[in-house]
Amino acid sequence: MDNSTHNMSEKLVQYLDGELTGAEIESLEKQLATDKNLNEELKSLKATREAVKIFGLQQKVAGIHTQMMKEMQAPVRKMSPARRIIRYSIAVAASVVLILGSIIGYNFYNLSSSKVFSSNYHSYELITLRDIDTQQVSLVEKAYRDKDFKKAVELFNEHSSVSIKESFLAGMSYMELGDNAKAIDEFKNVIAENEKNKTTLFKDEAEYYLALTYIRNKDYDFALVQLRIIKENPGHLYNNNISGKLMRQVKMLKWR
Amino acid sequence: MEVIRNFPDSELVANLRAGKRMDETIKTIYRNYFDSLSWYVMNNSGSRQDAEDVFQEVVVAFIDLVQKDKFRGESTVKTFLYSLNRHTWLNELKRRGRALAREEKYENEQDRTAPDTGHLIADREGKEEVIKLVGELGETCRKILLLFYYEDFSMKEILEATEYENEQVVRNKKYKCLKQLEQMINENPALMQTLKNLLHG
Repeated sequence: MDNSTHNMSEKLVQYLDGELTGAEIESLEKQLATDKNLNEELKSLKATREAVKIFGLQQKVAGIHTQMMKEMQAPVRKMSPARRIIRYSIAVAASVVLILGSIIGYNFYNLSSSKVFSSNYHSYELITLRDIDTQQVSLVEKAYRDKDFKKAVELFNEHSSVSIKESFLAGMSYMELGDNAKAIDEFKNVIAENEKNKTTLFKDEAEYYLALTYIRNKDYDFALVQLRIIKENPGHLYNNNISGKLMRQVKMLKWR
Repeated sequence: MEVIRNFPDSELVANLRAGKRMDETIKTIYRNYFDSLSWYVMNNSGSRQDAEDVFQEVVVAFIDLVQKDKFRGESTVKTFLYSLNRHTWLNELKRRGRALAREEKYENEQDRTAPDTGHLIADREGKEEVIKLVGELGETCRKILLLFYYEDFSMKEILEATEYENEQVVRNKKYKCLKQLEQMINENPALMQTLKNLLHG
């Protein structure tokens, strides 16, 4: 390459790099318009510059690519044993909470007053008499023993003067017949009569069945009051029947 | 700590066009689009590695197209990248000689609303050759040329980044390096033609 060629080549590079002044640019562009070889040389230099740009862009993206692939496939950091125990404990606790929550939720939505009632209700059985005919048994009691509850309440309503026992049996008969309101009236009557007379005849029974009738009638606040009375009295005949589960179920029913 | 930013399409394209905040912008492309684009490759006979390679190629092609003003926002960046990704992967399958009938059918029935970017994916093999050739240049030359022509560093900035005595020495070195690379490319006329086509394509 002689000096003039070298100088022209340098001038072309300067032109390419935008380092020529206005007059120099004008002069060179005149030459480029007429000199095919010079024009080819410029195209060749531009292509070379393009090669550098292609390489530069590829290198830049490749560098970021490596970095981003690491970031997007970040390896799981090795946990210290203590951290692992804490993490697993939290996971187990969370699972337990979730399972318990699901069970509670399931029970909450599946619970009904009739379910709670039927799982706690047992028909009241009078003690068996050896010779019922020789005993002084009221007609109401006889009908109740025969499980003729309809007749029992009819007979009960026919008499203006009734005993506490008959009143309780009438309440039980109403319960068996599904008449909650009248059953509640009779059980309350049994409790009130006992309080008035300072007696305890069928009082415990009336309190327990009153609580159950309240549950079936969806009077949960009244039911809870009644259940607490029984639960707080260790000597109550039905004290053992009032479990924590029953109390919780009634509370849940109340909040539904 | 790096603050992760998400750019709207307009800002993303403007950054790429102006060569501003390139690292941050390219990372945004990866974070926003890698998962959905790689899914396409992996669900069309590709491996995870294939998906990564294709995505890298798509990002390079996209930046190049934006800088050459060939992406003018006729579609969203996502749609455009998706199209580039599909064409790049189908081309790769063809190159491997195992383009399945399914892919070919898909290519023929491609969504007509999606931009056809097939013609925009410039000579892939030619570009690979260019990259290989520039990689063969000495490290010093490569560094000076990259700083000047790709990073747009001034002579003064290059002087600070190298150990040369003064700007004139750097200027002379840069000239020699450019001529050396030109000569290397000229030894492969087809490659020189590829580059000229890329410039005017």
